[in-house]
Amino acid sequence: MSEKVDVTRRKMVKTAGMVAAGVAAAGLIPAVKASAAGEKAPRWVMVFDLRRCIGCRACTVACKAEYDVPLGAWNTVVNEEVVGKYPNTKKPFLPIRCNHCEGNEADNVPPCVKNCPEYPKERQKFETPDGKTIRYRDGATYKRPDGLILIKNEYCTGCGKCIEACPYGARAFNKRIKSGKDTSKNGITKCSSCQHRIDQGVAPACVNICQGRARIFGDLNDPDSEVSKLAKEFELIKNRDKSTLLPAEKTVPMNFYVDPDNALNTKMARKKYEKMASYSCKVNG
Amino acid sequence: MQKITRRGLMKLGIASGAILTTGGMFKTNALAGSIKLEAGGKDFSPATGTERKMIPSACWNCVTRDAMIGFVEDGRLVKLEGQPNSIRGLGKICAKGAAGINQLYDPDRVLYPMKRAGKRGEGKWKRISWDEALTELGGRLKKLRDEGHPEKFMFHYGRMKGSSSKIVGIFLDAYGTGTKGNHTSICEGGKWTAQELTWGKHYDNWDFDNTKYILNFGSNVLSAHTNHIPTSQRLVSAMVERGVKMVTFDVRLSNTAARSTEWVPVKPGQDGAVVLAMCREIMNAGLYDKDFFKFIKATENPDATTDEKVAAIKAHLAQYTPEWAEKISGVPAAKIKSIALEFAKAKPAVVISYRGAVAHYNGNDTERAVQMLAAITGNIDNPGGRVRPAGNKWKSPKGPENKPKSKKLNLADGFKGQAAYPTHHINHQILKVIKDGKAGRPDIYMWYCYTPVYANGECQENIDILKDENLMPYNVCINAYYDESAALADLILPNPSYLEWWDWEDHVSPKQIPEYYIRQPFVKPLGESRDFKDVVCDLAERMGFPLGFKTAEEFVKVSCDTTPGIKEAGGFEYMKANGVWHDPKAKPKYFGYKKEVKADALKEEGVILDEATGVYWNWKKSTAKSEAEAKEMGYTKTKNALKGYVGQKIGDMVYEGFKPDGVNKSGYFELFSELLKIKNFPALPTYVPIPEHEKMGPKDLVLTTYKVSVQIHSRSTNCKWLTEMYHDNPAKINPISANPLGIKTGDAIKVKSQIGEIKTTAEVTEEVIPGIVAISHHLGHWEYGRYASGNKAPMAGDDDPDLKHKWWDSYGVHPNWIIPNSPDPINGQQRWMDTVVQVTKA
Repeated sequence: MSEKVDVTRRKMVKTAGMVAAGVAAAGLIPAVKASAAGEKAPRWVMVFDLRRCIGCRACTVACKAEYDVPLGAWNTVVNEEVVGKYPNTKKPFLPIRCNHCEGNEADNVPPCVKNCPEYPKERQKFETPDGKTIRYRDGATYKRPDGLILIKNEYCTGCGKCIEACPYGARAFNKRIKSGKDTSKNGITKCSSCQHRIDQGVAPACVNICQGRARIFGDLNDPDSEVSKLAKEFELIKNRDKSTLLPAEKTVPMNFYVDPDNALNTKMARKKYEKMASYSCKVNG
Repeated sequence: MQKITRRGLMKLGIASGAILTTGGMFKTNALAGSIKLEAGGKDFSPATGTERKMIPSACWNCVTRDAMIGFVEDGRLVKLEGQPNSIRGLGKICAKGAAGINQLYDPDRVLYPMKRAGKRGEGKWKRISWDEALTELGGRLKKLRDEGHPEKFMFHYGRMKGSSSKIVGIFLDAYGTGTKGNHTSICEGGKWTAQELTWGKHYDNWDFDNTKYILNFGSNVLSAHTNHIPTSQRLVSAMVERGVKMVTFDVRLSNTAARSTEWVPVKPGQDGAVVLAMCREIMNAGLYDKDFFKFIKATENPDATTDEKVAAIKAHLAQYTPEWAEKISGVPAAKIKSIALEFAKAKPAVVISYRGAVAHYNGNDTERAVQMLAAITGNIDNPGGRVRPAGNKWKSPKGPENKPKSKKLNLADGFKGQAAYPTHHINHQILKVIKDGKAGRPDIYMWYCYTPVYANGECQENIDILKDENLMPYNVCINAYYDESAALADLILPNPSYLEWWDWEDHVSPKQIPEYYIRQPFVKPLGESRDFKDVVCDLAERMGFPLGFKTAEEFVKVSCDTTPGIKEAGGFEYMKANGVWHDPKAKPKYFGYKKEVKADALKEEGVILDEATGVYWNWKKSTAKSEAEAKEMGYTKTKNALKGYVGQKIGDMVYEGFKPDGVNKSGYFELFSELLKIKNFPALPTYVPIPEHEKMGPKDLVLTTYKVSVQIHSRSTNCKWLTEMYHDNPAKINPISANPLGIKTGDAIKVKSQIGEIKTTAEVTEEVIPGIVAISHHLGHWEYGRYASGNKAPMAGDDDPDLKHKWWDSYGVHPNWIIPNSPDPINGQQRWMDTVVQVTKA
């Protein structure tokens, strides 16, 4: 009984906690309107231009190094699948990382956050580049007003519910760290969009290394950003069903794919995954 | 690289930069453009946010040797990135480069000099001091030298470039041995020889920045290439940003084929037939470049007119109809025709080629045919074409003045008559030649950045020879890692990883403007590892012939402080802080062959005209003893005549032309090769069948090997981040070939060649052509440490928290066990892709 009550109460608090941040969920709202609302955080998104991905996996290695991710876990991988009959064989590549989901339209809370028992926690202030303040709640896993889904290990109990909740398998236990609240359990590793780099004005590690320039990272609230231009050119926001992974999950992912060769219409893209390691990390060459 | 303004304001939490952009007409979009991220150049600790210390250096994990930067945190190298200011790499490195850190901290590294304690190959070692090691080695070396037999010291190297090549070269010259081995024939030495026979100096730069069309024969440039990062990213940009079409001919759907506009499957070793048929179509359609024919040699006569040359080429190509090529190559005739015409019309266009096409019995003429395709369409040395690279001109110390005359054992060019022009040597035959003994045997065999056991074909024979103390009395291995060859050494000198040593570097820039860059240590060499370049300085000093510099660092410093341009920019200090330098005023170099030779140069003493070729040359720089002898022998047949090359007479003019390098060719772009004719090979590029393939039975398959994007030939599997992604390499077979054999994916199979058999697993896949079995050549290590093979090195430590998280226990197979060491009859290239095999269920 009490469990049920807890859940309900938590849900309510969560929704309340997201109100302020909801204003900043501007990726879904035309930029001018958002701006008129008074404050506007950037809305960081990634566009994967699959015309440019050559399956080199430098992103995967750069990320491993940036975070010293232990063996057995990844924050980003590139999947590949051989499709078609010889001689009309094709091999699309599909780079994957945390989708930094907006969350479903009802409450703007992504499933990982929703399922985290240690969310919401403390009130935090996010100062926008124009000097205004957006209030939000942090937690063991939480959404920052600029759209980043982040982890605070000090709150984390290592329960793994966020891993189970993510249909993209974007999360895994980090076997080299203990969860902040329960040292018998491991903490979580996932892509943070290199928050520590972008907060200091430098692009994420995987973007930095991508020789094909297939990973384009930027602010969707800035109409002059490359991601905004690509979103416009390829109608990425309008056609979420064709530009994002597992649209039926209604998580509203904020990784978009420019996908002229239908990589999103392959088995590897249509499947739900448990963790990043369960993607086919197999490299063909 | 994206630049940001107001960098200090960029920290999000405190950003108030919007003030600068508010007001005026853009009020509603006050934030537009206010946060621009820098592409790189800086890194921060994810845990603490503290900025990490940046050091510029250069990669070495493959021969591309990208300029890069690294970040050090608490004295430990944590991250490698591309050098944002490099005109070659444009701020990028690849997965293999980024994983280099794993080699620095490989728990299986050799950190101390080790002396064999048990039987050779038994795996018993004793740690010794450097003094003990160099006293022993120096004593043996000095004895040979004092006895007048420096040539009994053989030095066999793999990668040795830039200042490493200079420093070690100076040491070997000062010591007096010319008994050297390299490794180029297991890479692409054959391609280089074919280029030396056609346009002189080897190496082709592919000008993707300016091209409109790309034809690819057997290169997986998007995954691996001698200039990978600088070229492949430009290729992607050309295709996506400018809509450049790329057609890839390959036996396998490589990543490059997968990303190409079109993959055209071709049978192994039959690329040459396709290229020749394309040349025929282009000539017959009149789409050849008449102006470039002026510089082409197409007949015996150096004064032939363009019409005569065109007629000769057409006559030669008449036999190579697209229908004929279809039968041989499997590529439809209509496809050959249409692509040929597209290519010829798309000027500038570039044709690229690599081992898929050239590591065959007929590879020399396949590469010559590719050169012909580029030449007849005028896509040579032009913006957007196949271009001769612009070289660097580092100044560096020359070493001692009085060097002895070197002596050498002829071990590096194979057995007599094995190859006509092995200009890059036949190193894969070296152990066989040593075993044979007729050319002598070294008393000391030392290898450096090389693994003779694993990198060549016929692994078992390599092991047997290296193990045999009667054939190989003293084996010295210079390595940071305990690989399959190190296991057969008597003495291992621990080299550091490349992340701990000094160099200057000089690899080709696709911008056609030379880039100068250095490699500097990120951390001090671990344990007692010592850069071999410093060790040779020490050894030379001990033997009484000091090299004139004491360390590699000093050598690099002097080079930076004396090389024009770098010197003015600030020399060594500038390079340490910035890593790279190029002349900002330099213009891209094209059309060098069109430069006229000044009349004065023709009047110099010793310069004569060779009537047979039209070459002006200075006989005094050759081995000819008199002008009369030079004239009688002629330019082509006089040893070292190429060293006196001055220019090529074409009509009434004398041009710099296509200067020879390696062989005495003329200054023409030689489609007709007098040198090949002399050796009874066809003078014009000609299709030659592969003898073994002519005799294949219906169930025989051709074994093909390849590289993947996340491993480097033989030496990267100790990179845990790479091997975690790639540690198994099942044999790929098309269902059309697998079904009759009853083979399914996952089946245990045997792959048998004339020299042996390997066991592996089958992967039945649509990504390879029928008739082949494809096995990559990175894996199947039985040493090289725990990540590579599961086997701990005898001297290993356990200082890596990831050791307990390693989750794989498959290590793949190595195909080289069953590939014979067998050279291309013209250039000596190892014929990696010709082996006929039988595949059966195990």
